[in-house]
Amino acid sequence: MRQILRLTVNGEAAESLVAPHQSLADFLREDLGLTGTKHGCDLGDCGACTVLVDGEPRLSCITLALECEGREVTTIEGVARDGRVHPVQEAFDRCVAAQCGYCTPGLVLSCVALLRDNPSPSEAQIRAGLSGNICRCTGYTKIMDAVREAAVELAGQAPSPAEGSRRD
Amino acid sequence: MTDRPDAPSALGQRAGKIDGPPKVTGAAVFADDLRLPRMLIGKILRSPHAHARIARIDVSRARALPGVHAVITGEDLPERYGVIPVSQDETALKIGKVRMVGDEVAAVAAVDEDTALAALALIEVDYEPLPEILTVEDALTRSDVLIHEDAKNGNVTKRVFQRYGNVDEGFAEADVIVEDEYLYEASTHVPLETHCAVGHYTPDGKLTVWSSTQIPHYLHRYLARVLGIDAARVRVIKPEVGAGYGGKSDPFPLEFCAAELSRRTGRPVKIAYTREEVFYAHRGRHQFKMWLKMGVKKSGEITAIDYKCWLDGGAYSSFGVVTSYYAGVFMTLPYTLPRYRFEAIRVFTNKPPAGPKRGHGAIQPRFALELHIDKAAAALGIDPVDLRRRNCVEPGTETVNGLRITSVALKECLDAVTKASGYHEKRGRLGPNRGIGLAASTYMCGANHSIYASEGPHSTVQMKLDRSGQVAIFSGTADIGQGSVEMLGRIAAEVLGISTRDMRVVEGDTDLTPVDLGSYSSRVTFMAGNAVLQAARRCRDQLAGPVAAKLGCAPADLVFRDHRIWPGDHPEWKDDPAHSLSFRQGVEVAEAATGQGIGAMGSYRPPRIGSRFRQTSVGPSPAYSFTAQVAEVTVDPETGEISIDRIWAAHDCGKAINPQVVEGQVEGCVYMGVGEALLEEHVFRGALYQSPSILEYKIPTSLDTPPIEVLLVESHDPEGPFGAKEAGEGPQLSTVPAIANAVWDATGVWMNETPFLPERVLKALEAKRKAEAKGRTAAVAPAPRGSGSGT
Amino acid sequence: MMRLPAFDYRVPREVGEAVSLLAEYGEDAKVLAGGTDLLPSMKQGLFTPKVLVSLRGMAELRGIRDAEGGGLRVGAATTLRDVARDPRVLALYPALADACSTVATHIIQGTGTLGGNVLLDTRCTYYNQSAFWRTALGFCLKKGGDVCHVARTSPTCMATASADTVPALILMGANARLVGAAGERVVPVESLYTDDGRDWNTLRPGELLTEVLLPPPAPGSAILHRKMRRRQAIDYGFLLAAVRVDGDLAGGLTDARVVVSCVGPRPVVTPLGDLVAGRPLTAELAEEIAHAAARPAAPLTTHGVMPSYRKKMIRVTVRRALDTLRGEPSAAV
Repeated sequence: MRQILRLTVNGEAAESLVAPHQSLADFLREDLGLTGTKHGCDLGDCGACTVLVDGEPRLSCITLALECEGREVTTIEGVARDGRVHPVQEAFDRCVAAQCGYCTPGLVLSCVALLRDNPSPSEAQIRAGLSGNICRCTGYTKIMDAVREAAVELAGQAPSPAEGSRRD
Repeated sequence: MTDRPDAPSALGQRAGKIDGPPKVTGAAVFADDLRLPRMLIGKILRSPHAHARIARIDVSRARALPGVHAVITGEDLPERYGVIPVSQDETALKIGKVRMVGDEVAAVAAVDEDTALAALALIEVDYEPLPEILTVEDALTRSDVLIHEDAKNGNVTKRVFQRYGNVDEGFAEADVIVEDEYLYEASTHVPLETHCAVGHYTPDGKLTVWSSTQIPHYLHRYLARVLGIDAARVRVIKPEVGAGYGGKSDPFPLEFCAAELSRRTGRPVKIAYTREEVFYAHRGRHQFKMWLKMGVKKSGEITAIDYKCWLDGGAYSSFGVVTSYYAGVFMTLPYTLPRYRFEAIRVFTNKPPAGPKRGHGAIQPRFALELHIDKAAAALGIDPVDLRRRNCVEPGTETVNGLRITSVALKECLDAVTKASGYHEKRGRLGPNRGIGLAASTYMCGANHSIYASEGPHSTVQMKLDRSGQVAIFSGTADIGQGSVEMLGRIAAEVLGISTRDMRVVEGDTDLTPVDLGSYSSRVTFMAGNAVLQAARRCRDQLAGPVAAKLGCAPADLVFRDHRIWPGDHPEWKDDPAHSLSFRQGVEVAEAATGQGIGAMGSYRPPRIGSRFRQTSVGPSPAYSFTAQVAEVTVDPETGEISIDRIWAAHDCGKAINPQVVEGQVEGCVYMGVGEALLEEHVFRGALYQSPSILEYKIPTSLDTPPIEVLLVESHDPEGPFGAKEAGEGPQLSTVPAIANAVWDATGVWMNETPFLPERVLKALEAKRKAEAKGRTAAVAPAPRGSGSGT
Repeated sequence: MMRLPAFDYRVPREVGEAVSLLAEYGEDAKVLAGGTDLLPSMKQGLFTPKVLVSLRGMAELRGIRDAEGGGLRVGAATTLRDVARDPRVLALYPALADACSTVATHIIQGTGTLGGNVLLDTRCTYYNQSAFWRTALGFCLKKGGDVCHVARTSPTCMATASADTVPALILMGANARLVGAAGERVVPVESLYTDDGRDWNTLRPGELLTEVLLPPPAPGSAILHRKMRRRQAIDYGFLLAAVRVDGDLAGGLTDARVVVSCVGPRPVVTPLGDLVAGRPLTAELAEEIAHAAARPAAPLTTHGVMPSYRKKMIRVTVRRALDTLRGEPSAAV
């Protein structure tokens, strides 16, 4: 039986009738039209569906939409700040860290969380931070470049509300 | 008027891609992101049997399920297809029999995915199992079991036999003969986006199919044929494609089924494969079993190669006929080879069909040959790099099998990569269990012949300018992440002197964009690049006359750069409105002067080469790229685990149109090679593919990928656009053998079989230790004369 | 793409309510914690519960508390990442922190829970597949069939224990608090598992794992966790081993135990007190312990990695862990 789901998505309150077996990924894509969140494997193996729930990376393909009741979900469409794309996105663009671009939304969100928790990550920490998101195009090289550049860029900026809101 | 004035060039800049912003913001629209009004969801029923007759199909219960709008089976789409015209052995849904687990049997369209899945469960199929062919050996010996009953050569898809010169004479001249067997394991692409298609048949009798394809043009032709609709009424649109690596180079059943289900329901129908279905769709790398014999003189001169290979093709031909040629034709490069004999046999088995994966058909023999070169070097006591240099092909030559060689910068690649890696300082000196290895390779820049016989251009680009100052490029190419949109834009930007981000590149839409054969065989930069170069020059010429008249100079003196047009002999006039025009003004002036719109077509057709030998119609290319790669590894002697410390890749890309994009291609190639070297394997339980998931099919994560250092070497090919050649496939060829050669340097063990799984490495190490304990080393180290020496 | 089968979804606010729901629905209910294993398995048709009982509404099941008399009480719904990062866990139970941080990926660690890991379903290459795949193969003993594809004549299922945290928890002497309609009980984590990969746990119908109780570490004991896997992320182990030694490494040990997992339905525990008592941890003893730990393990073809290799690696892994304790480089490269 469908149940009411109330949550915040990209800073806006959303309310919807949702079937219990609806995944968060399907809810975002089908009900809200936020198609930046991608299906890659649907089994939690690839990271293409990564979104932030209360600021933390989650695999939306193996998260029930209803489990996000009352929570704050950030998708790739919501990481821009003040009408300007996020420094991680800028760096991905500048460094050509997106080849086909299919893993990119999930990776950007993982990197946003990584740099929030660890503003100047080491090489090993960057690799670890990327390890939940498969990229089949780049060999991760340009993505690592982008993370390093974004870290420098972010070093001079204050965190936005969307990123600062880590809740448990 | 020149393409390369002193002002800053659009080429060679480390810039983002034209299509970068939509990709990093989630705005890029992939096929599965499309939602059309009244759209239905389609699903395909697949065979759980590897080889069986279909005795009965009853879809009545599925049809009766509320929410189901159509159910189709094989007889509804009986027209055969196959990407290669000589091997038309597929139908969208199978008729009469199935040939592999995962073969498509029926398709449904329903209001939503749950209903479509419920409908599949209601379809009743009775199968009568048939004996299964699981190996090449089975295929060659079981003449009583035919996978394709009407095939001309039983279970053999294709046998290729070629001979150039007398190899026996060559072996007689040799001082050392190296002979060995190799096995290169099958692997698959795993693009992060699964295949997806949306079919929309409209009341005007027109069909539109959006599909995640690398080959909009070929798909267009096959949709028209299989659906029985005039090609003029069929439109294929390639949205953003979440990569392919060759895995989206065939027409696939979901494209035909989505189209037919739409025709039957009058509503748009979307079908997206699950990840598991992509593993059954496959078309990945063939497993090759190879026998290779090479003669070398003490001087290092290679005298002959005799080479045979077996290809496990799976249930359908796909590109297999072509693979069978690629399996051998590139062995004559990049080392000059005077005599060559080659046989390839590709067979059908009851497994998912193999096809083209990055480095199509050439990866496997390259692995064997590059290990062979190092084995020969060891046997002769020659430095492996010297041996390669000694035999390196020269520009302006022709190979023994008739390949025309234009630009070659392999020696430069070898220099760059050995220097950057410290190869010579490190080799044999890294200490126990650490080693460094090198390999070189070559790949084509597009095939000289299209897949179907045609004298038409391989690439056509249309360009439109108008008084807004915007430039639109229309191209049938298919950017699948490799950067062809950026390539097209940057070449046009270079010619017209404007910024790429002011352009719109419309790609891969058969109604709007002129024909391009698609993204395969590393053809796009060379061919579409030349086409857009021609179109851009023609457009510039249309501007130059009127603008020169306005500025009072000769058209040939004009420089187009930084959105300005000015007489090049007066650099100081560039920003002086009295003596120069903005690009937008230039277009306005030309429109006004001629009363015509500004626009042009540009085309590319490869030069007519490679006809000396009729049998090499597959292989000739207008140019070849070259790569040299070094891997440094550490082998754990107790676990057999190989860790790759770093890989250096020097690639002769001709000219880097956008260096970051080119580097990205090289890095991606190395990454994919690392996966094939260490992790990825195709394991079957009988005919059942055992790891159809990203969890179980082990593609490397960021933690399994070594640091990759790319060195771009520019040879400026005389026929490439601004000298450019390919970068998307060639660099993968040398990764796996470089790693194998490094493992040998580390351990003295040759890994002749991929992937180099820890248990295999350990077994080889233990065999070596045992042999050494017995005082024998011949079993693992190459003997001065290899086994079965013919001299 | 892949869909979940339909189910009803309940969010109890307290343990009592959860336990009543589980009692009410019996076999038709499954507990949803992080969902990182349950939901993929449901997409593959391995479970089709009528009701999912979500733990998200019970704050009492999350968090790490100091236990009376020392040690920690970890709520079953605490994420693996919160366990791995907890300063007390890092100080007192570094092997557990290690084990948590080798699970799958950092994203899964931030979602999956300690309770979920302790009660991770047994795994097998012939079981953890889609419904279509298992139809093509023929169903197996663990789900829907009557034959084990790993050992055709076996009357029991050979699917393997695969939980990363369990070997360390066993060596720590961790206990599990189980709450059912009939009351609660505290049992050793070690006693939660059986020898049949099908009925692999000893929970009574309707019982809920609410807490994992970590006793204070024994003075002079050291525990190490090791995992071997094909890939460095997004992978289950093909071998898990945890090693514990008690006593004075140089002067003389008092006890040692090794737990090896991914080799059968339950973790294989090898007590080695008799072997090590009074002996210093020398290279020789390390080798002997490693051999003894490997002896009872009988890996089968439940994984893509050859059983003979996995067996061999038990020795190497255990010996290297002990070498690390001895201050030798962990890899003999």
